Amino acid sequence: MNTVMEATAPPVVHSEPRRPWAAVFALARFEARDLLRYIPVLVALVVYIGYILWGLLSEREGMDAFPALQDVDRGTQSAPFLLGIALLVCVNRAALRSRRRGTDRHFDVLVMEPWRRTVAHVLSVVPFAVLTALVVLGEFTWEALKPGAVGHGSVAELAVGPLYVMLCGALGVLFARLVPTVFAAPLLVLGLFTLSVFVSAGTSDAEWSRWLSPVVGENSTETLPSDLIGRPAAWHALYLVGLVLLAATVAVLAGGGRTWHVKAGVAGALALTLTGAVAQSGGVSPELTAARERATATPEKEQSCIRHGASTYCAFPEWTGRTGTWAGVVDRVQALAAGSAAKEQLLVRQRFDATYGLTGDTTIAPLTAPHQVTVGTRWGGNRVPEFAAAVASVLVAGDEAKGGELCDGRMVTVMWLALGGAADPIGDLKNVRLDDSLSGSAIVLAPTNPLSMSAGQTSVTVELLKRPRAEVTAAVKEHWGELTAPGVSTAQVARVLGAEAPKGADECEA
Amino acid sequence: MTPTVSASGLSLRYGGTRALDDVSLRLTRGVTGLLGPNGAGKTTLLRVLATAVPPDRGAFTVLGHDPATSRGRQDVRRSLGYLPQTPGFHPDFTAFEFVDYVAILKELTDRGARHREVRRVLEEVDLGDVRGRRIKRLSGGMRQRVALAAALVGDPGFLVLDEPTVGLDPEQRMRFRELIAQAGEGRTVLLSTHQTEDVAMLCNRVVVLAGGQVRFDGTPAELTARAAGQVWSSTERDPGALAGWRTGTGSFRNLGDPPTGADLLEPTLEDGYLLTLDGAGAEVAAA
Amino acid sequence: MKGVEGDRRVRGVSGALVWSVGRTVPWRALGAGAVVGLLLVWLPRLGDGPPDPWLALNLLRGAALAFALGLAFLLDDPARHLTVPVTTRRWVRTGLRVAWVAPVAVLWWTAVLALIPEQARPPVGAVTLEAGATAALALAAAATAVRLADEPEPGPSVAASVLTTAILAGLLLPHRWSLFVSPDDPRWEAAHERWAVVLAAAVLVWGVCGPEPLRRGHLLRRHPRGAVPGSP
Repeated sequence: MNTVMEATAPPVVHSEPRRPWAAVFALARFEARDLLRYIPVLVALVVYIGYILWGLLSEREGMDAFPALQDVDRGTQSAPFLLGIALLVCVNRAALRSRRRGTDRHFDVLVMEPWRRTVAHVLSVVPFAVLTALVVLGEFTWEALKPGAVGHGSVAELAVGPLYVMLCGALGVLFARLVPTVFAAPLLVLGLFTLSVFVSAGTSDAEWSRWLSPVVGENSTETLPSDLIGRPAAWHALYLVGLVLLAATVAVLAGGGRTWHVKAGVAGALALTLTGAVAQSGGVSPELTAARERATATPEKEQSCIRHGASTYCAFPEWTGRTGTWAGVVDRVQALAAGSAAKEQLLVRQRFDATYGLTGDTTIAPLTAPHQVTVGTRWGGNRVPEFAAAVASVLVAGDEAKGGELCDGRMVTVMWLALGGAADPIGDLKNVRLDDSLSGSAIVLAPTNPLSMSAGQTSVTVELLKRPRAEVTAAVKEHWGELTAPGVSTAQVARVLGAEAPKGADECEA
Repeated sequence: MTPTVSASGLSLRYGGTRALDDVSLRLTRGVTGLLGPNGAGKTTLLRVLATAVPPDRGAFTVLGHDPATSRGRQDVRRSLGYLPQTPGFHPDFTAFEFVDYVAILKELTDRGARHREVRRVLEEVDLGDVRGRRIKRLSGGMRQRVALAAALVGDPGFLVLDEPTVGLDPEQRMRFRELIAQAGEGRTVLLSTHQTEDVAMLCNRVVVLAGGQVRFDGTPAELTARAAGQVWSSTERDPGALAGWRTGTGSFRNLGDPPTGADLLEPTLEDGYLLTLDGAGAEVAAA
Repeated sequence: MKGVEGDRRVRGVSGALVWSVGRTVPWRALGAGAVVGLLLVWLPRLGDGPPDPWLALNLLRGAALAFALGLAFLLDDPARHLTVPVTTRRWVRTGLRVAWVAPVAVLWWTAVLALIPEQARPPVGAVTLEAGATAALALAAAATAVRLADEPEPGPSVAASVLTTAILAGLLLPHRWSLFVSPDDPRWEAAHERWAVVLAAAVLVWGVCGPEPLRRGHLLRRHPRGAVPGSP
């Protein structure tokens, strides 16, 4: 039955050109603002930013004042963990909102196609990724501006945090399109987390599986020059970009965007991901291994040397700015010594064992050449008295290897030289001893082999450190020859310096 | 003159049920009422015209755009306002946010202009004062008006309203009718309803759908006229009547072929509607 | 159930009500949590080599969390606005839901524990306490959501909060208050005293939030039958 009404003019049709992507961005903006309404996202943001601020503003360790930027960049990666999880779960809920509230049947006939809505949900995470990037940059800049900062950061390492956040959001949308129930996302988070633990444990931390995880940490606390670290950071960033795009494009595909553009996008993202995954699992290249061995065995070939006062300081290029700080410690120690030791021309050489990269903490052998001292790559906090102890042991014993074997009364002299001029000698003594004690025998840490203190040496040293500095300094300088004579007993040293003599003999006498 | 909507031979099956059976119609500016019993295919026809489901057979155009192509469907949707039968809401959104959300999905991209438009439609449906209130805090009538505002946003040329007055109290229904009448000025409105009063008061055209087929298409006056001479009053229930019920005055109002000399009454739109359904062999729920 | 209001009530509670409440339990969400939990503890069987006790313990914790995430949906009731005014009290209805789930949970936990090889299994009682506290926490969160919001299905929010809380607890709890310790840690005993406190607190919150409030806006104030505001 056809009927025609007495028709009048048709209504005005929109004449402005269609701008679908502008609408997608407007929706993404709306959804991003809406995400702030979810309590987990808010809590995660507050915790993340609060944690970073707390970390930056409270210097917990002396070493924090001397950051190495090639470690700082990596250190920014794990803090957004909770933010990522919260975004995954909440973006997932936002993407399922229309379905849950029954507005789908209305929205599906609106101009914006459902797959574009999916795109908007992915894009709604971008502001959070940008925020993460800003926090990461702020964190890095803060560290880089510290006067004690050395080294170089890597943009690829810095990108991991924001990319991780982006990946979590994209996965949230993907889950929403693949498993459209709200209870799936939290469980999937749990499942993914456990799975990642298993893949790395099941393949005994093989290089390829270790790098599948978005954030890859290192067990070692070693700091290496940035060109010896050997983390495939750029490939990993590419892998993450690929994963983000893959999750996003598959979500769009599952959301109804079946155009060839989207399919090509999936293929491209897959290719990126695989390229990144394969390239990052390559392991350590022979060139890098050779460079590491060179830096470990013959550091002098890579270093430049700078003279401060009587002594020479040889450092890897990234550390040459720190030689002045080392010189300050050497001067302080030498100022307490007498005789030739006070004027000794030392050679301070920076050394480390880079053979295994960042996978292990290895100690390095002491130097046997006379008047040479090893300094590590880290500085500040306990590293300062440790270095001072090494300098003092070389001044007293002649070289590092012999310094490590000291067991007689000279150990007291060494510890006095190392700590007598420090701002907080007793605190430093505690810190430099492995068990943080002030009595009994203990190991004393040094850049190479540790020294050891007997209980008697400890008590004499503590007593000296508690007495007025000028008085002890004068006494030490006066009896320098006696105090540094090989075989001098601790009891003798105590007597000479007017301290209470310990009972029992030194270990090497026994 | 170009019709806004022109459909021919629309058919749609759900399993074994013919939801739409060769429906053809043309709609032009003004409010068209779509009457029919439950299960007549009203919602299906509205969903087809709103491009929510493509028809199995047949074709239609809206403002000259053919939704059979992807580009054409987008063009149709640009000039479409749709109020589904059970519109969902996002309860945590405010009225403003919800309509703004729909406006974004309608690809109104200029933020300032969009917000002005959202405010305008919310004023239009009398929700200007509560636009900052969350939807979960709004009454049922207010929510229905939020849904109408969402349909009106972007000034669509073709408005599809699926039983918008269901569940409203008489005052709200009156207010809603005013809004629809207002919306009908300058655009084409297709209004599905059970309420013949809605049609009588609002529509300049009425289509009766039953069993997936168009049973009547004309003006409300024409539909009323169908019952001329077929409504009469009697003191006893008339066994010859198709339907009859006791009215408030105590006499019976009968529909059908009147006996000779019967006391004929002025027909209403409802009489015409019921007789149309009956004439088509459809089930008449004469209360 | 106490039949305080006559025979009719008792029949209602014990018979058809139990069955119909059982049909409204969101079994899909619970099942998903249970299956994920089982998968978590089953995973290490794929690899060879002796199971690591510390890993096994954390897997059990993960499984308990997975089940708790399912439990977060337990009080979801799409028909909440219809079921609010029925005469069966809310705590009876929610209690029945828990009663339905409890045996399933016990069976499931037994299965989970059985999947962990004996040499890697941590002390069963202590881990069960942890799992119970986690589950109770999820239930308490769900009850709080039902009590404080008029939302028929608060499950997704509750699950997200439970997950966030779990991660926060793992990340931010200071060393001396840690809940996640290993059996050979000297803090193991103390940690389980804290778990017991968590369990008790969760049960308390559940108890407070269980009954339907008689007045709006007062979380803790409730007036039992016959009580007058202000009376003890």
